[in-house]
Amino acid sequence: MLLAYDLGAFVSDNRAELLDAFLNTLKVSGFAIAGALVIGAVLGAARAHRIPVVSQLTAVYVEVIRNTPILVQIFMIFYGLPQLGIVFDQFTVAWLSVMVWGGAFNSENFRAGFQAVSYRYREAGYALGFSSFSTFLNVTLPIGGRIALPSSINTYISVVKNTSLMYVIGYAELTTTSLNISNLTLQTTEALTVLAIVYLVLVWTLSASIRLLESRLALPESQ
Amino acid sequence: MPDWVEPVARYVIQEGLPGTLRVSAIAVVGSGLLGLVLGTLLTIKFLPLQGLIRFYIEIFRGLPILVTVFIVFFGLPSVSRSLEFDALTAASIALVLWGSAQVAEATRGAVQSIPREQHEAASALGFGWVGRHGFVILPQALRRLLPPFVSLLVNIIQNSTLAQVIGGLELLEAGKRQNERLAAFPPIGLGEIHAFEIFAGVAVLFFLISFPLTRLAVYLERRLV
Repeated sequence: MLLAYDLGAFVSDNRAELLDAFLNTLKVSGFAIAGALVIGAVLGAARAHRIPVVSQLTAVYVEVIRNTPILVQIFMIFYGLPQLGIVFDQFTVAWLSVMVWGGAFNSENFRAGFQAVSYRYREAGYALGFSSFSTFLNVTLPIGGRIALPSSINTYISVVKNTSLMYVIGYAELTTTSLNISNLTLQTTEALTVLAIVYLVLVWTLSASIRLLESRLALPESQ
Repeated sequence: MPDWVEPVARYVIQEGLPGTLRVSAIAVVGSGLLGLVLGTLLTIKFLPLQGLIRFYIEIFRGLPILVTVFIVFFGLPSVSRSLEFDALTAASIALVLWGSAQVAEATRGAVQSIPREQHEAASALGFGWVGRHGFVILPQALRRLLPPFVSLLVNIIQNSTLAQVIGGLELLEAGKRQNERLAAFPPIGLGEIHAFEIFAGVAVLFFLISFPLTRLAVYLERRLV
């Protein structure tokens, strides 16, 4: 080792850059999670209610995303699409690729959640004169959404972890920035420590939130 | 088919596929063995041991696998020179750390789902802890572990692409090198960009390997559980 291990110096010397990078990680994660939530709820509903065409297309989308590595998906978007004239900047590639990935997994979470809603609840909605769309909005979505919540948060945790892959496209999120700094200062061990601590705190916080939300949002009859 | 396709495909299959298979094979065997042992030990009610294994599981399930790859590839050599690995080996080790944490968690659940009577019956036959678990409990738990294990295999095959990030020659890296070769000006390359076709081809290869396994996992899930 060239330098003595000094985590404090590494962090304080590069405070501004690391903070920016951390915020970029949060920004990409936030965009991707919001998108994955919408994709998951809409396509999950289409799957659960077997809406023709949309349901089959969703099944294909889910299988393609689940059975190919996310790194290959990122390469397709970053290197492949420009050949067809579709060029995105790094930030767009970053949130878009994890959103497309998370959306596929989330549509499975929501499909399972919506399918778990008992038919008699929906029957009750129809009996009250609700249209099938308002039955979905007022009955299936609130109940099925709660059932899907723990598994969808697990998907969001994976989304946060996958933002580290933006290292390969050079987007200045936490992993890229921390390692780039260490390339200049040779403080590799410190850079890796920062990464480990920040990601573990993020992931552990989100996992703890699952347990908290699970008990607070549990359906009354399952308690 | 255009002339450039055949050499690209040959390189990706001949040079890339063995790398992917090697990393996946080491990772799946290593994760399986280490995970089974850790998961079984986790069912022993001895707090310091449980705490230690819990910590291991939470760390390696919590870290992005790419960060674990970097820790193994860049971090370990600065601890000791003897811990310097080539890219494919470093990726395999990182995947074993991650995969064994997954398997350990699943094994704990599977072992605990075996009824207490099975333990008692094995003890009555004179088995010690090791014999009881090795011959009676784990064989039954393995049945329940089969579907998640096939899913893990799919995950490991896909995450073996992380070796590309540190320059390991596997399917994705092989595709990337060919993409760069074709993009170079003649006489080295063609001066043409074929990134879309090449990476789509790599994606198709992964799909062909993964899809049957995903279906198998679903089938096993229905049949065995």
